Amino acid sequence: MTMRFKTIFMAILISCASLGAIPMVQAADDDAVAQAIKARQAGFRLYSFYVGQLFAMAKGEQEYNADLAATLANNLVAVTELSNGMMWLPESDNTARQGKTRALPEIWAADSNIGDKAQTLKDAALGLSLVAGDGLDALRGEIGAVGEACDSCHEDFRAEDF
Amino acid sequence: MVQDNDTSAGASRFEPQKVWDPAIRIWHWMLVFSVVSGWLLGEFRSFSTMQWHIYAGYTTGTLILLRIVWGFIGPPPVRFRALAVGPSTLKNYAGKMFQREPSGVAGHNPVGAISVILMLVLLSVQVMTGLFSEDDALFFDGPLANTVSGSIRTTLTAYHHLSAKAILVIVLLHVSAILFYLLWKRENLVKAMITGWKIVRK
Ligand code: HEC
Ligand code: HEM
Ligand code: HEM
Repeated sequence: MTMRFKTIFMAILISCASLGAIPMVQAADDDAVAQAIKARQAGFRLYSFYVGQLFAMAKGEQEYNADLAATLANNLVAVTELSNGMMWLPESDNTARQGKTRALPEIWAADSNIGDKAQTLKDAALGLSLVAGDGLDALRGEIGAVGEACDSCHEDFRAEDF
Repeated sequence: MVQDNDTSAGASRFEPQKVWDPAIRIWHWMLVFSVVSGWLLGEFRSFSTMQWHIYAGYTTGTLILLRIVWGFIGPPPVRFRALAVGPSTLKNYAGKMFQREPSGVAGHNPVGAISVILMLVLLSVQVMTGLFSEDDALFFDGPLANTVSGSIRTTLTAYHHLSAKAILVIVLLHVSAILFYLLWKRENLVKAMITGWKIVRK
């Protein structure tokens, strides 16, 4: 193969590769904002995984197990204690990232009380962790406050659909 | 027998008639109870009361099914045939609706018939979406929520919330219309829905 053919061949190869890269850049589905959105959704899934089993026990859909209940409640406390401010990047609301997130722009408003909502959940989770292993009645007494803390934040700050 | 002559538009042109059968009257007031309680238990939900929202929803659903049966085999004024009004009847009645005299229809008036159908459709949508709704905060799910994918579940839950708002609007409209008939047209439809006797144009 001559030098000229090699050059042309390389030129075509490089053009194809860069053309192929354009859609990847445009899709931008794994930039910092996209990663932060996925991370915070994963965090909520974690809440849901722990607290879901506690709700199932409270409603009699899953057998009450004191050790498991205590562990689940402690895990919930642990995840609510994480400082996750870095997941709530600017331009990561549901108008900037349609179809990817349900986080409403109100979260970032100057008068937003989302911090209070998060604190309410922290307090409720802590209250639950103190009694979750003390029997079904104790669990039932405290778990409502946790669910209502989740509900009240979704009501104000989460869109109905993606 | 209730002699209802409280109309100022000349009693001679009207006569009391038994229009609403007992079943539809009991049905209506049970529906009022189940819809109002279901709506309030949904809007102001808590962990300890959410199960009652779902029971109220089942009650509403059962009542809607019974009404559909009654629409085919019930007495003439509640049949779907009587509710299916054409555009010309509707236009004709809408033109006279604001006249200050009782309509005196032996059943639903044409505009009322449209609103009845709308209410029945909206309530059916409400119950059907409710069966697939998920509550990922208080962890109460509709009994069929697990039969569809997560994204469909989220969408149907959103529709459940949306049609709850629509129901609020149409029920307020319904009650306002009843008040309009009472105060403006001097026609007491509520009494008729309780006793069954209605003042009907001869
Ligand atoms: C301080 C506000 C707040 C609290 C408290 C809260 N959430 Fe959320 N939750 C959100 C927001 C905002 C979203 C939307 C996140 C997004 O789509 O980027 C969300 C999303 C979710 C999701 C969907 C995640 C996904 O994959 O899209 C689940 C499940 C969830 N939350 C469960 C819970 C549970 C369970 C609790 C209580 C233990 C809870 N949340 C408490 C604000 C909150
Ligand atoms: C079988 C029937 C029904 C079932 C299983 C059902 C289930 C549910 C569930 C699981 C929720 C919670 C959703 C959430 O927290 O995000 C909900 C909310 C709600 N439901 Fe139902 N429902 C039913 C019927 C009805 C009916 C008949 C009405 C009204 C007439 C109604 C009105 C509401 C309202 C107002 C809410 C709260 C919506 C909001 O907060 O925006 N539901 N329902
Ligand atoms: C949740 C609330 C309510 C719902 C869902 C509702 C629904 C309905 C429906 C479906 C009908 C048609 C009856 C039929 O099937 O043939 C109807 C008729 C009627 N309703 Fe209601 N209703 C509600 C509240 C009320 C209230 C509070 C009143 C009293 C003020 C009322 C008074 C009447 C009357 C008088 C009729 C007969 C109308 C006519 O003569 O054409 N309703 N309602």
